[in-house]
Amino acid sequence: MKRSPLRAALKVEPAQTDASQAMIELHGIVKTFSNAAGEFIVLKGVDLTIQRGEFVSIVGKSGSGKSTLLNMVTGIDHPTEGQVIVNGMDIYTGITESQRSKWRGRNLGIVFQFFQLLPMLTLLENVMLPMDYVDLYDFDERPKRAMELLTLVGLEKFALKLPVLVSTGQQQLAAIARAMACDPPLLVADEPTGNLDTRSADTIIQLFEGFVAQGKTVVMVTHDPSLTSRTHRNIIISDGEMIDETVSKCLPQLRHRHMLEFTKIAAERVYQPGETIIPRDQPVDHFFMIRKGQVDVVLLDEMNQEYVVSNLGRGEYFGEVELMGGGRSIANVRAGGSGPAEVVIIPRADFMRVINESPITAEAVGRIVQTRLEEHRVRDHRAART
Amino acid sequence: MSSTSLIELNNVSKTYSTAAGDFPALKNINLKVGGGEFLGIVGKSGAGKSTLLNMINGVDELTEGEVLVAERADGRKLSIHDMSEDARSLWRGKNMGVIYQSFQLLPMLNLLENIMLPMDLSNNFHPRRSRERAMELLQLVELEEHAQKLPAFISGGQQQRVAIARALANDPLILVADEPTGSLDSLTADHIFDVFEHLVHDQGKTIIMVTHDMGLASRFSRSLTIADGELQNGQDALNFDRTTAGQK
Repeated sequence: MKRSPLRAALKVEPAQTDASQAMIELHGIVKTFSNAAGEFIVLKGVDLTIQRGEFVSIVGKSGSGKSTLLNMVTGIDHPTEGQVIVNGMDIYTGITESQRSKWRGRNLGIVFQFFQLLPMLTLLENVMLPMDYVDLYDFDERPKRAMELLTLVGLEKFALKLPVLVSTGQQQLAAIARAMACDPPLLVADEPTGNLDTRSADTIIQLFEGFVAQGKTVVMVTHDPSLTSRTHRNIIISDGEMIDETVSKCLPQLRHRHMLEFTKIAAERVYQPGETIIPRDQPVDHFFMIRKGQVDVVLLDEMNQEYVVSNLGRGEYFGEVELMGGGRSIANVRAGGSGPAEVVIIPRADFMRVINESPITAEAVGRIVQTRLEEHRVRDHRAART
Repeated sequence: MSSTSLIELNNVSKTYSTAAGDFPALKNINLKVGGGEFLGIVGKSGAGKSTLLNMINGVDELTEGEVLVAERADGRKLSIHDMSEDARSLWRGKNMGVIYQSFQLLPMLNLLENIMLPMDLSNNFHPRRSRERAMELLQLVELEEHAQKLPAFISGGQQQRVAIARALANDPLILVADEPTGSLDSLTADHIFDVFEHLVHDQGKTIIMVTHDMGLASRFSRSLTIADGELQNGQDALNFDRTTAGQK
């Protein structure tokens, strides 16, 4: 086969990787679109780091900027401000469009909601296509590798069929096989299950989990909450800004705008192991969410001996009993574990205002309050006597 | 206008075997398509229209009957389902462009590269010529100023026009389109029809399009209805001369 200029232009060397470096680093990403109605800021200074081997979902309402954010990572769109480093490469500084295209071919697998299989090529030929462009595998090796990928996604029987003769779920599986054709370290997917039934969607998430188990990084935009629970991290974009992951993990029932409000007013505190966060019998004026490390809730037994009534970790919160019920702290709360505890705090007035606007969150927090008060009643003999 | 048809379906039936038993998707279809026609096949979802299209372009196997296409040197017609898989694929690549509801442009290639792709794969054109030709096709669908853009940066209607340009890359005689306007608003769909009409009237292409939208029937040079796997118009399905393009 003769080589077209297009193929020749896209020939690249294998990706150089440094395992110690994050897979994706976004620094201060601003993206502005101009239209007849004026300027519209889609991303308002997003900072995000995704480590190698992480499975990350990105969610947000329509128009929140989540797909734009993904387009920054794939190099499809350009940020107005800020820096994007993917697999060790600054993909927008001092690099031409064709260099970026080469880089993308080797480093990125991309899957979209609509599958972009070429209708006139068989599934096998569709999967071979990127190998053709990147020119990474020997010509004779390509059909074998494509067949292995089709087998991986369970489509080996359909290898010689045209896309129109397989189901939409199977088309998406073929698109995933094609995305993995050049063995990229990073797979990026925009609503990959948006067009599929639950069962097909599940197959796709299982495949992604398999890639992650092999050490690949998978970043997926979705609006399906049943998928976000399967990822290591869930990033929420609201109105062009990233919501603090600790806030969204601790209070998932909050509306995105409330999460964003908390993100903006949240302050961070770091406590060394053993250090007191809330002393017993003191007024509590903040709501506390754990970002990292461990926190011990400590009570006194009848002999006035301390014991740990509960041990809280990342994504859990405390201080709510006192804020919701009023009064002083029922326990001594301090950093536990062996490393520092990082805690995100929201002032009492802000917390109460938002909780009052969000009945579902109030109810969820209320249930935790009930559980903890029960626990407290049973275990704190001092409380039981009163 | 020659009275010889370009495509002829004789007693075509297609039955799918499912766990629930045999399902007849097409029942004894007889159809002739003339050169230069803009033929619309209208039917509800499940009526068999996509299956019919897959018989015409040889993508799917038929259960009974034959689909005759190009004429051989001895004057007899070739049955596409008698060709080997490779021969059929070659024939299709040369003679048919296909367009689907979702546009299947490769997201990482710009519009020009997307259109060059089929030429690149078929080796029908010299690389330099394929670039020029891709640009001409973009001009045809009035998107030349967007040539260097990636598909993500143009609208759905524009993407479908690029898909049409790509379907025309190897200069096929016939275009088959499965609900090409299915996901477009009516104004954008109108623009797609303008492009199709131009191709039929000014370039002599033959277009076979299936749609569920009864309202589009008047836009075709001939319109047939399919229901429950059967063409409803009986004799009309064989009379292509009477209504061919240009006499509309």
